[in-house]
Amino acid sequence: MKIAVCVKQVPDSETRINLAAPAAQLDESGFTRVLNPYDAYAVEEAIKIKEAGGEVEVTAITAGPAAVKETLKKDCLAVGCDKAVIITDPELIGADEMALATAMAAVIKRDGYDLVLTGIKAIDNDSGQLGVLLAEQLDMAHVSTVTKLDLGDGNLTAEREIEGGKEIVEASLPAVLTCQKGLNEPRLPSLPNIMKAGMKPMEEVSCADLGIEVPASLVTVKLYSPPHARGECKLIDAEDPAAAARELARLLNEEAKVI
Amino acid sequence: MLVGGDANAAAAEAGKYGADKLFAAGGDELAVYNSELYGTALAAFCRAQSPDVLLMGSTAMGKDLGPKTAAKLGCACVSDAVGLKFDGAWEVRRPVFAGKCFTDVTWSTATAVVGIRPNAFVMAEKAGSATVENFDAGTAGVTSKAVVKSVAASSGGTVELTEAEIVVSGGRGIKGPENYELIEKLAASLGAAAGASRAIVDAGWVEYSHQVGQTGKTVGPNLYIACGISGAIQHLAGMSSSKCIVAINKDAAAPIFKVADYGVVADLFDIVPALTDEVGKIRS
Ligand SMILES: Cc1cc2nc3c(=O)[nH]c(=O)nc-3n(C[C@H](O)[C@H](O)[C@H](O)COP(=O)(O)OP(=O)(O)OC[C@H]3O[C@@H](n4cnc5c(N)ncnc54)[C@H](O)[C@@H]3O)c2cc1C
Repeated sequence: MKIAVCVKQVPDSETRINLAAPAAQLDESGFTRVLNPYDAYAVEEAIKIKEAGGEVEVTAITAGPAAVKETLKKDCLAVGCDKAVIITDPELIGADEMALATAMAAVIKRDGYDLVLTGIKAIDNDSGQLGVLLAEQLDMAHVSTVTKLDLGDGNLTAEREIEGGKEIVEASLPAVLTCQKGLNEPRLPSLPNIMKAGMKPMEEVSCADLGIEVPASLVTVKLYSPPHARGECKLIDAEDPAAAARELARLLNEEAKVI
Repeated sequence: MLVGGDANAAAAEAGKYGADKLFAAGGDELAVYNSELYGTALAAFCRAQSPDVLLMGSTAMGKDLGPKTAAKLGCACVSDAVGLKFDGAWEVRRPVFAGKCFTDVTWSTATAVVGIRPNAFVMAEKAGSATVENFDAGTAGVTSKAVVKSVAASSGGTVELTEAEIVVSGGRGIKGPENYELIEKLAASLGAAAGASRAIVDAGWVEYSHQVGQTGKTVGPNLYIACGISGAIQHLAGMSSSKCIVAINKDAAAPIFKVADYGVVADLFDIVPALTDEVGKIRS
């Protein structure tokens, strides 16, 4: 069985966006980049399937600049992926998910995979479209927001999170799954494994190598703007808790008019 | 355009909110959500009607159906819109980095699929006179590679976090899982959803479905009450677009007060039950 894990390098969740006024671009100079936390569930699930036995090969696929190699090595290869593919065209940096899906689908079609795993969304642009777009482009089944997976012979059963509950979905292989927190607990790489990961193959390809034109983004960002500035916090005297609660309820009811 | 088992009745309901034309695609095969069938129906609809934008909710279903439909049409797809504007060209505003900043986006295709963040727009009833037209979506013979076998409700609260008008969240300040009840009681008195910081989700005190933040749910209710939550950047990312924020925390230096409109520096074990009583009085 061949498993592809589509991953993205994103700014760390600690990242502060310093944006005093609307701007055409973000100043990304101080950003520390890490594996998208949701993709870590996809990587872990692939490795668990591999560890469960049988002939399983796991490939991490990403698009990005040379700096993604560090993330691929530490968070994918060192925890158990067998190899990695990087699509290097600079036009794909910051591209929309339709473009990324088209490029990644070209790798997946070239190599042939039975299962494609990715995170439910990337925590930078928060779109959460990649997995579903891939499935349609590859003509594969998909289940999104998966919190539990049982692989069968040529099929799978997955639990998918919905508002206020879950759906149990049966799908045929090959399939694309988007992975949600709860699916597993991603492991951390050990130091010796990080050293050894340097020996694993990391292929760099361009869209031209894959026989496609660099896909154009359909959605473009015109402007970034900071959230609305918030006013001063009104502190309520808390000497007497009962009185403080009464005053808070009054303010919410009469001043803010939210209850 | 409504796709579903009893689509006509539900489409008529949509007319109350001012739609000029109403379409419905019904049929037994559409009674339960199926990405392939619903996507096929909406793509056929877009080909027939050529809308500028196909709007749908960015809900669990919409987040699955939106990209599915867009991929079938090869058109632009935008998730979680909180603003929508047309002056010669369409522009959508949406949060990125879980709300740490916003982007205004445009697209290059004739039609775009746009998901609307729940609660971001006010619903206003208008007198509508449109009648429902049946739309034959051609889904009758379509097979699907993935099928929903069953649906189970979770044991959690009754109000959905991302759709709630009021959210009451608890953090590590509640000290133990047994005290989450205080948060749930205040939430119940307000008709609110109960949320949580990651700290208490990771501790196993509440289910992940309650987590608010950059790696949980992003919420933007009219009122967000944070109880015993310090206000780490990942938590703030998920809730700072709330219209009114209340912080109850015994540490006056906690960062949550920087985004709060009202703050009470006190022990939540004193304030939260008292507030529940006060809300009860106002509500009755
Ligand atoms: C990759 C990554 C992703 C993350 N994603 C998220 C996310 O999505 N959501 C999220 O919430 N966090 C997230 N975090 C975690 C985040 O960094 C914080 O650790 C977490 O939000 C802290 O939760 P807390 O405020 O409940 O706990 P603490 O920071 O421990 O704060 C507890 C607060 O309770 C107060 N308190 C204690 N006792 C009382 C009392 N009796 N009365 C009143 N106040 C009291 C204290 O003063 C303190 O301010 C993420 C972290 C990482 C690394």
